[in-house]
Amino acid sequence: MRGKRGSQLSPERPLSDAVVRHSSRRGFLERLGGAVIGLAGATAVASAVLPDEADAYTNFCGHTYTTGNCPAPTGLPRIDRQGYPLRAHDGVPVDDLGRPINGQGQPIDAHGQVLKDADGVPLAPAPRTKTCETTGEDYGITLTLEGSWYRCCGGTVRRIRDCCGATNLRVNGDAALVGYCYPGHHVFCVTYFETAIPC
Amino acid sequence: MLSLLLAAAAVTALIAGIAGAWSPCGFSMVDTIGTALGDVRRTVMIVAAASFTIGALAGGAVTFGGLSLLGRLLGHGATELRDAVAGALALAAAFADWRGWKIAPQIRRQVPERWRWIMPLPLACVLYGLLLGLGFTTFVLSFAVWALAGISFAADSAVLGVVVGVAFGLGRALPVLWIAPRLGTERGDRCLDRLALEPRLWLGMRRLDAIGLAACAAVLGSSSALAAGTVFATDPSADSADYAWQQVGGPGMLQTATATLSLPGRLPAVGGANVAWLSGHQIVISHGFPSPSPRTIPGPPHATVDALAVSADWLVVRDQSASGIANLFAVSLRDPARRRYLAGAGIPGAIGRPSLERSTVVYAYSSSAGSAIYEVDLGSGARSVLRGATADVLYANPTLRNGRLLYERSDRCAQQLLLGSPTRLGVDRVLLRLPSTVFRDSGYQNGYTHAYNGASVCPNRMSGAGSTTTLGATALGESVAYVSESPLDPARTRIVRVRLG
Repeated sequence: MRGKRGSQLSPERPLSDAVVRHSSRRGFLERLGGAVIGLAGATAVASAVLPDEADAYTNFCGHTYTTGNCPAPTGLPRIDRQGYPLRAHDGVPVDDLGRPINGQGQPIDAHGQVLKDADGVPLAPAPRTKTCETTGEDYGITLTLEGSWYRCCGGTVRRIRDCCGATNLRVNGDAALVGYCYPGHHVFCVTYFETAIPC
Repeated sequence: MLSLLLAAAAVTALIAGIAGAWSPCGFSMVDTIGTALGDVRRTVMIVAAASFTIGALAGGAVTFGGLSLLGRLLGHGATELRDAVAGALALAAAFADWRGWKIAPQIRRQVPERWRWIMPLPLACVLYGLLLGLGFTTFVLSFAVWALAGISFAADSAVLGVVVGVAFGLGRALPVLWIAPRLGTERGDRCLDRLALEPRLWLGMRRLDAIGLAACAAVLGSSSALAAGTVFATDPSADSADYAWQQVGGPGMLQTATATLSLPGRLPAVGGANVAWLSGHQIVISHGFPSPSPRTIPGPPHATVDALAVSADWLVVRDQSASGIANLFAVSLRDPARRRYLAGAGIPGAIGRPSLERSTVVYAYSSSAGSAIYEVDLGSGARSVLRGATADVLYANPTLRNGRLLYERSDRCAQQLLLGSPTRLGVDRVLLRLPSTVFRDSGYQNGYTHAYNGASVCPNRMSGAGSTTTLGATALGESVAYVSESPLDPARTRIVRVRLG
């Protein structure tokens, strides 16, 4: 095999072929061709393995595998740094009912004005709780946000946060995965946090 | 109101079912069960008749119960319109049945004859009964059947639908049960002949139906007027005979058994035969209205009163200072110097509108940390939590009356008006259910798979904008619940009445 002209690079023999490539002009050309082939191959492998295409994610950008969303007030499980719910499309804080709220927890309208009843009295604030922990309470298990991973989504880095607990079941109703949870824990559901980092 | 409608509709349905005996299928059933077997197999005939009855009852319950269930599933919206349409339908059908008009639209289908030959008679009779009980699978013999379908749909009561269906099924079975066992005898045969030769009997049945439908229309008409409620109004308050509300941007109103009166002030409340309202900075308590010598209690000097509740012995006041501090306190009407502080909040709106029954006050308190309905005995100061949640749920606008608690429960999916026992949990009855007001996304981003987001969605509503109606202040009468409904513009708030059934 060694020194064989025009030989095709065999994936099983990369080291021996490399010696040949380094020894002559023909070897240089072969090296160049190999790089091209390698690049094409890597692209193919990458496209098969890495979920860069939108349809490789589940439910929302950045989330791979099949664990479902944590139940969130407005649908998509977007959270803030502390784990409290945000409205997905604009990041506005919402209470557990999904109403946009101000800093005091009072429900507000699209212009930021406090919503009032017919007497002019502000509408009552509602509980605002951490999406992951509250999911745990709703399902009767103790859940916390544990490991994360990051993906570039819509021009910013998105942190996908696993909501984990000592459970073998997940929100889907079937077997839970380990994901990025701490040892002994499994992913019950997933949330995400938008960082301010452009990508 | 519902019980009157229930009675009228059930009697009408029974007669409509009996009128079905004049249909081809009705005659066929009498003959099938009665004559084919003879005395030798009389037991089989009795079993067949019983089977037919069971089938007819089940069929009726399925059709009319199903229609009422469908009406409930479509929700509370436009109750008054539905009642009005059902009432008009009943009236039109009554007129047509009274005049003996030809039935239209007519269903020209009959039960399959072959069942009689290929199945054991009892089994065939169950199926025949089912088809006849269903009402709309064979010939319809009175307009009342169509009208009863509309009434069942509009009544928003599964009980009414099932009762109407059972009555209709019973009506379909009665002629068979009456004549079939006698066939072959002189009396039985004469009876069948009279049935076949006397269309006036059929017309008579239809006229009885017309009377029943007219009664249904009358009840629905008054019910429609009731459900229409009060427009541009909020803060309902009800006592045994009195009902008060706040006209938006106007005075308080009081409706007694004899008149509707405008009060010289705002925020009216009734209870314990007293009427209270806010007049300037004074709280006025009147034993009846008008009263020659109403009492006045000065309002808090540095706060604005924004809600009142009154009973025979107590007045409960909610106020709010200029800095947004809200307070709730009670004043004894026997000794105004005796006061009991109930709650305070730094966030306006956190303390809900109070309701008072004798010396027991209920109110909601909500914040980012939780939401609860509290009950306080003003005599002893004992406090208890009637409903509470630290996540997901907002409790609001409780009213206590005769051992029943009316309140609202809102979550991310729905707003509910519930009626139940103050102390027994888990058995509350939903009087009204609206979708939540919030905008909800689909639980997945566009362009991504969405196979595992079941927990993100609400089963009762789609993604997108929610309801534009927000439930508000409540009151509880003897047989009706009052709840204010605010559209996007709170000035257009109205009070809706919900039958307790």
